[in-house]
Amino acid sequence: MAYHALAAVLLPLFAFVVNCFIKGKATGWVSTIAILLSAIVSIIVFNHTFNGGTIHLNRVWFTIGDTQLYAGLLLNNLSTLMLLLVNLIALPVHIFSMAYMGHDKRYGRYFTCLSLFCFSMLALVVVDNMVLFYAFWEMVGFSSYLLIGFWYKKEVAIQANKKAFIMNRIGDVGLLISILVIYAQYHTFDLIKLFGINGLISQSYIKDGLWIAPASSIPAAWQYIACGGIFLAVCAKSAQFPLHTWLPDAMEGPTSVSALIHAATMVAAGIFLLGRVYPMFNTAELDALAIIGCFTAFMAATIALTQNDLKRILAFSTISQLGFMVMAMGINAYASSLFHLVTHAFFKCLLFLVAGVVIHEMQHVKDENQLDIDPQNILYMGGLRKRMPLTFIAALIGGAALVGLPLTSGYLSKDGILIQAFEWSDTKSIGYKIVPIMMLITSWLTAFYVARLIFKVFFGKLRVLDVKPVVICHISDGGWQYRLPLILLSICCLFPVFSLNPLLYEQSWLFKAFTTADHLERMNIYHTIIPAGLNILSIVVIYFAYAVYVQERKMLPFAQNNWAFDFSYNQWYFNKAYNNIFVKPVLALGSGLFWFDRKVIDGFIQLLQNILLWLSKVADVLDRYVIDGFLHLLTAIVQYIGNFVRSFQTGRVQYYLLSMLAVIVAWFIFKTLI
Amino acid sequence: MNLLTLLIFIPLLFGLLIVVLPSSLRNSYKYITLLAALVQLGISLLLYFQFKTGASYAGIDHESQFQFIQKLPWINLNLGGMGKMQIDYFVGVDGVSITLLVMSALVMVVAAIASWEINKNLKGFFVLFLILDMAVFGVFCSLDFFLFYIFYELMLLPLYFLIGMWGGARREYAAIKFFLYTLFGSVFMLLVMVGLYLSVKDPATGSHTFNMIQMMNPANYDAHSIFSTINHQTIFGFPARTVGFIVLFVAFAIKVPVVPFHTWLPDAHVEAPTPVSIILAGVLLKIGGYGIIRICVGIFPDVAVSGSFVLGLLGVISILYGALNALAQRDLKRMIAYSSVSHMGFVLLGIASLTTEGISGAVMQMVSHGFLSSMLFFLVGVIYTRVHDRDIYNFRGLGTLMPQFTVFVMIGFFASLGLPGFSAFIAEAFTLAGAFKSGSTNGLVPHWMAACGALGILLSACYFLWTLQRMFFGTERLKGGETWKHALKDINWREKSALIPLALMALLLGIMPSLVFGKINDSVIALVEFTKQYIR
Amino acid sequence: MISLTNYLVVSGILFCIGLYVVLVKRNAIQILIGIEMMLNAAILNLVAFGKYDKVNNGGQMFALFAIILAAATTAVALAIILNVYRRYKTIDPDKVDQLKD
Repeated sequence: MAYHALAAVLLPLFAFVVNCFIKGKATGWVSTIAILLSAIVSIIVFNHTFNGGTIHLNRVWFTIGDTQLYAGLLLNNLSTLMLLLVNLIALPVHIFSMAYMGHDKRYGRYFTCLSLFCFSMLALVVVDNMVLFYAFWEMVGFSSYLLIGFWYKKEVAIQANKKAFIMNRIGDVGLLISILVIYAQYHTFDLIKLFGINGLISQSYIKDGLWIAPASSIPAAWQYIACGGIFLAVCAKSAQFPLHTWLPDAMEGPTSVSALIHAATMVAAGIFLLGRVYPMFNTAELDALAIIGCFTAFMAATIALTQNDLKRILAFSTISQLGFMVMAMGINAYASSLFHLVTHAFFKCLLFLVAGVVIHEMQHVKDENQLDIDPQNILYMGGLRKRMPLTFIAALIGGAALVGLPLTSGYLSKDGILIQAFEWSDTKSIGYKIVPIMMLITSWLTAFYVARLIFKVFFGKLRVLDVKPVVICHISDGGWQYRLPLILLSICCLFPVFSLNPLLYEQSWLFKAFTTADHLERMNIYHTIIPAGLNILSIVVIYFAYAVYVQERKMLPFAQNNWAFDFSYNQWYFNKAYNNIFVKPVLALGSGLFWFDRKVIDGFIQLLQNILLWLSKVADVLDRYVIDGFLHLLTAIVQYIGNFVRSFQTGRVQYYLLSMLAVIVAWFIFKTLI
Repeated sequence: MNLLTLLIFIPLLFGLLIVVLPSSLRNSYKYITLLAALVQLGISLLLYFQFKTGASYAGIDHESQFQFIQKLPWINLNLGGMGKMQIDYFVGVDGVSITLLVMSALVMVVAAIASWEINKNLKGFFVLFLILDMAVFGVFCSLDFFLFYIFYELMLLPLYFLIGMWGGARREYAAIKFFLYTLFGSVFMLLVMVGLYLSVKDPATGSHTFNMIQMMNPANYDAHSIFSTINHQTIFGFPARTVGFIVLFVAFAIKVPVVPFHTWLPDAHVEAPTPVSIILAGVLLKIGGYGIIRICVGIFPDVAVSGSFVLGLLGVISILYGALNALAQRDLKRMIAYSSVSHMGFVLLGIASLTTEGISGAVMQMVSHGFLSSMLFFLVGVIYTRVHDRDIYNFRGLGTLMPQFTVFVMIGFFASLGLPGFSAFIAEAFTLAGAFKSGSTNGLVPHWMAACGALGILLSACYFLWTLQRMFFGTERLKGGETWKHALKDINWREKSALIPLALMALLLGIMPSLVFGKINDSVIALVEFTKQYIR
Repeated sequence: MISLTNYLVVSGILFCIGLYVVLVKRNAIQILIGIEMMLNAAILNLVAFGKYDKVNNGGQMFALFAIILAAATTAVALAIILNVYRRYKTIDPDKVDQLKD
């Protein structure tokens, strides 16, 4: 089976390599067929391995020092499930893309990148060691970078992909640090050795401020740092507070990409990472995780209330739902978290594809009538349910699942999380009650913004007509490439796929696969009261939204000019704050250091150079005037004497005689005097 | 004929050929140079494949374990009462140098291709180029300190002229700065070299020797000599061995370059012609790292152990400081120059950790950075030769004009910022792994330093992506308008032939790091074992 | 009685006149005459001092030698003067200054 899984992973890689060398429409078929085959293979793998124990296959990759690094596959319930999930999501998205991107000039490039992403994502879920995990972790980020910036001439798109990559890099650095701390502590990268049953992690403990492992012990702070690094990675990849701001911007990419990467698969990788390294965390760390998730879910839901961009609303709802999953991990609802991951992947992908169809049609309207509107803005939409019935039904199913209404998959997973959150808070002090309560509120908020979205888009009348009264509208559900994915995904959003009992999450096969028997009992009152209360109130909220947006009754809390609206509309001012707190200071620091480099370090060198030059000038002066001067003086004296003596040499014999006489006389005088 | 000797002196032969050829044949010079580089690449590959691995071929401090050795007496003077002077022509390779040799040979080929752009005083350029080529390989191969020093100094001269004569507007300033910097380092190195010579005696002959491998054995030191391992002598009140280490370290740190000895690098790079930038970044910086491993750590392991904290700190400072400076640059070439400072910081951090992971990572980083920085400088050269401008803000939307070029830029940038699948990722990850492991095992480099080093990875993503966004994406807008638009043709086959091997090597090493690790592993283990005895 | 001093005074005067002639005259012949006068002053001295050697009459003997030598040198000197005249068409020693550097 391991080789089947390997084939499933390598097929998209093969498609990527082939697509690098070919152009045109064939690329779409290459990628789609590869992912189709991959999906089939992964279904086979799933059938054989799910609930069938662990398969581990590895080969030596390279040796460094006395550490051997292996490259290998690890198939257990988690990775098999993810393998299947990614393929099942990727397949409809590929089909969808063939139509959606059909008119793009860089069609081939699109599918090349898409295959690269699929390869990275599939590899990420099956690799068996931390180094490879990190490698593919970053590769999915990279392919997401390529796809967000696919329309590279769009200024916002390239800003967004830079932001996405850098924010993800923050998480990557965290993950890298924690991997390396773990390596330093346990001297291995192998996931099974570390996190398996009786793995190294379970043998280590914290005592007297030391983190003691079988091989070595270091200060306990590093255990927290390692976990913090993983949290950072999760926050970045799964768009949790404080690293969530890249995801809404990432919606600048093609909608099909948003559906695959930024709703269903890549963003879920953070949850998957938590699932992989779950034994790492101690209670305090899990609490922190729960609080992060809870806060993010609430924050994103409040932001989603006021956004007007169709994709942005969905992006914030993604953040919110990811918050649910993170919180679920934090409250020990491991199985529910993964369950929600799977159901969310389907319904969110469905909603994004719906958005893709709608945007595609609005773009047509815009192009045909040469209107100056944003095709993604829900304020221009409306009344689309009659023109695109299939899309409308898909949106309803997806929306219901997102809200968590009964009979959908979302109900099963989300209500499970909420019930366990209440159970969890019972074991804690009273302050922790705020977590489940906030999650409840978040659920109602979710119901509201989903309702708002659907009512604005599909009900009422087409508001483009307000801009230009007469428009040509060829709005329809589109061809089979649009219909088929929507139908497939809609089916996956219904309860029978996951559980035969539409009301009890405990009976879902997926939940059972990840949990032990004692969780399966309905222990207390929460199991009844919460789903009932939640859904009744949700329906009330939806009706409320109906009243506001379809019947257009004026209701006071929805004034658009108070501070709460601005706060939500501007996404809690995070972008502005980050720009002011991090981006600008870092750039300023860079400039400052460059100034330091030029003025201080180089200036010091310059100073040395000047001193050297000055010294050499002094030496030059010394040389020219003192040492050379002395020599010149000597020569001058000699020359003067020579010239003086020369003057006696007149060539006249009588002068010679006279001078001889003078000398003799002088000598005589000299002699007589002394 | 010894292969190594052949490898070293092949460029000289071709250089002589160029010297005697009349200038009417000047168009053939570039082909001759390229041929020389290709022959060298062939020989180095041959060496690489013949290189034997195993614990008995580890090298480092065992002369017999080196491979492809050639040892000829060179200068042997009988000084009567002062004993004999013994200088050998002694070359050989072990794991640390073999991969660097192959890397340098490939970089030289690329530099030779890049130098086809040169159009004035061809004879001078190519002769100097080949002399430089010879000196570089000499440095990597020589095991006699004297020989090493000669080759080391021999590199300076051609470089000075290559920058000073064929460089940009401020070339003379840059050339002088470069020359003074490196000369400053190497002059003091000479003193330490002589000191070592006077301290070490060859046990076989009893005479003083310049043999580096003998210098690594503490038993060979005279008890009363200046660098004696037993009696701790002092110079100006400082322990002599520490002073010796620092002097050698500064000499190599200038080459690496380590902050604060780095300011020659941006200037030299910015002013140097493209092929010289490629050699500077691709090969010369590695000589610094190589020297630190082979000479500083090899000869003064005791000081290297006690000073590893400072070494690691300098490495981390280089990483962060270089990256932040790169963020502030407007000149593309200068940005890449600062990124080199940042990336070479990892080398120092890895060496400082004195773990197998760290040192292997450092060597890997040198090899990887050799390919990647050559690629990046080549790419800058492509733009510069077309429009003679490098200011980031003067370009926009190059992706539309030069799509293939942009693909290579993206490969280069992403490989440099440590994208998995490329060599830099493995190198940086294992350097940091070594640094973390050092904190847990030998305690030389604290954990926080490694964590700070990891931040460099984040910053490198920032400056590379920002540049990518500013220059290559978006709607096209060029300072030079239509003229530039016509000038900015996509890359031609010659440029591709230089870029493809580099990109492929970066990819290959990222996927199969064993190509490097397999060869160096035994040497690295030996080196770590060798230093371990000094760790208390 | 004529004492030695008288001879010496005469010879000194004679020498000085000769010296004066040698230094001052512009005619080579006159200079030659001056030289002869100085020579004669010397010869006079020799003869005068000859009184201290009455056995061998050395003074007289040297005087005779010197006279003969003087005759010879005069002949040579006149020959030189003739040659000088032929070459320079003058015998003024001031004009013949080729010894100058």
